[in-house]
Amino acid sequence: MRSYSAKILTGQPLRLAITIAGISLCIVMMLFLLAAYHGVANGSVEYIRKNRSDLWVLSSNAWNILRGTSILFTEDTYDIENIPGVESVSSVLFLLTGIKKGDQQATVYLTGFDPEAESGGPPRIVEGRSVENDQEIVLDGAFASKFHLSVGEVIKVRDTELKIVGLSGGTNALVIQYAFVTLHRAHLIVGYPGIATCFLVNAEPGADLDAIADEIKFELNGVAVYDHETFLKNNIQELQTGFLPFIYTIAAIGVVVLTTILSLLLSVNILEKRKDFAVFKTLGSPRGFVSGMIISQSIMISLAGCLAGVILYFPLVNFIERVTPEISTKTSFLQIISVVAVVLIMSVVSSLISMQRLRRIYALEAFS
Amino acid sequence: MRITSHQKNYVQLEGVNKTFIDGDREFHAIKNVSLKASPGELLVLLGPSGSGKTTLLTLIAGLLSPTSGSLSLFGRSVEGYSNKELQLLRARRIGFIFQDFLLIDSLHVIENIAMVLRFSGMKRSDALTAAGKLLDQFNIGHLARKLPSKLSQGEKQRVAVARAIANNPELIIADEPTASLETSQGFDIIKLLHNYAVEEERCVIVATHDLRIADLADRVMRVVDGEIQEECSGPIAEINQLIVVGS
Repeated sequence: MRSYSAKILTGQPLRLAITIAGISLCIVMMLFLLAAYHGVANGSVEYIRKNRSDLWVLSSNAWNILRGTSILFTEDTYDIENIPGVESVSSVLFLLTGIKKGDQQATVYLTGFDPEAESGGPPRIVEGRSVENDQEIVLDGAFASKFHLSVGEVIKVRDTELKIVGLSGGTNALVIQYAFVTLHRAHLIVGYPGIATCFLVNAEPGADLDAIADEIKFELNGVAVYDHETFLKNNIQELQTGFLPFIYTIAAIGVVVLTTILSLLLSVNILEKRKDFAVFKTLGSPRGFVSGMIISQSIMISLAGCLAGVILYFPLVNFIERVTPEISTKTSFLQIISVVAVVLIMSVVSSLISMQRLRRIYALEAFS
Repeated sequence: MRITSHQKNYVQLEGVNKTFIDGDREFHAIKNVSLKASPGELLVLLGPSGSGKTTLLTLIAGLLSPTSGSLSLFGRSVEGYSNKELQLLRARRIGFIFQDFLLIDSLHVIENIAMVLRFSGMKRSDALTAAGKLLDQFNIGHLARKLPSKLSQGEKQRVAVARAIANNPELIIADEPTASLETSQGFDIIKLLHNYAVEEERCVIVATHDLRIADLADRVMRVVDGEIQEECSGPIAEINQLIVVGS
């Protein structure tokens, strides 16, 4: 049966090649969307994940740093420092701001942090070093690559010249990239000294975090306090609600296109081989033989498409990432297995759709 | 259950009618047909296109059910066979030869024959071995790895016969097997089928409009407008007489 299925398919090599190409492109698209999502998810929350503060303090209206406005006053950190069990507190200020280099200008998610503090800075330095004074800036690596900026060059934020001293990784959130300056420089840029977006609190070993959180809320009015895991979860959830529907919609379109291509090919094959199928039925083919052949054809094409798609995917993604560095992807074996599984399920669905035509093929058709 | 040649009558039709209904219209394809076909004979259903020969063959093959009358295959009413049993019957006990042979173009010659053996339940490797032997018996072993599209009409004819007898079926049903052949090739195929019927004690039923092949038949039934109008058996001269009269 497999042999006959394969021979029907290879009997029309051009049609087969076009179909496999179509399926493989659908697979590339689905893999790319998944990988892009994971890349964005990684880039968006890597900052939080790597800055392992015990507690995050924000205005009570904000529960994440991706899409929330939180305004705190840095002087409040003194109150927090005095709470028993608190080891250190640092302020971080996030600003959306433009930077300029010659005629080029772009927007970054500027993060002002205290270089002396143990948290708040770039999660990973991939080139150069972190910020040490107010005249320096660290840019996201993908952002720098996109705008052809490198360590040692000088850029302008408002009218202030800042020297690029390092490039960071895990700071690319696709639509926006992080940049890092000192908290003082961030205050100068925004023009409001003494404000912060959040406080990063580290507790002494063995301290009761819930008690510290309660005490912070008691001392400061209108703040929310999150432990690290909850805050990370909040940000991931925020990302998912904003990004996943978009990914799902495009992926669903890919699945529909894939199913349509497969159903079309199988239906055409069934119509072309109508007489053969009538002969099979007359000659006493077992029940399910012809249907099994259609399913087997569908699975064969899908597997070939998966193979071609996966082979095509990696060089294509490399190319895309080189041309558009802000697109950062993260591909895992699990993603590939998931996409292959979806494709195989849809191939069976396609064959079931096409098989409706088989019902109207009668053994009598073998007799003219 | 296999019946012995003593039981005779592999096929028996008594007052069989077949009516097709298309909306308000009824078409009586077969009218009150009675016939018997026994082992060791080649029966020809002779008639022009549209006379009902093919419908008769499909009834005999169990592909259609009679509207009325009784139809027995191998000593048992077709109504008593389940769909599964009819499928197995066609796979194991009935061989088919179609007009234009209808070999499967995507498969090699040997696979065309092995396929029938597989349908009857044989393992793939055994089926291929048996198919190879059969091709050798027909002196067409060299065609085993060819595709049907590369064969001449004469070669296709021999492959089609080999496929039909691959399972050593008790009944062979042939629909216009000589339609696309030259006269000599047509005679060859009918001779092959006749020899099979006689030597193997099998029954062969051929539907044709080709008057020439009636010479080799043991019995000829003339089918006109869904009815058996005349039947003749015996010496070839008598058959020819029937043909002349019928014409």
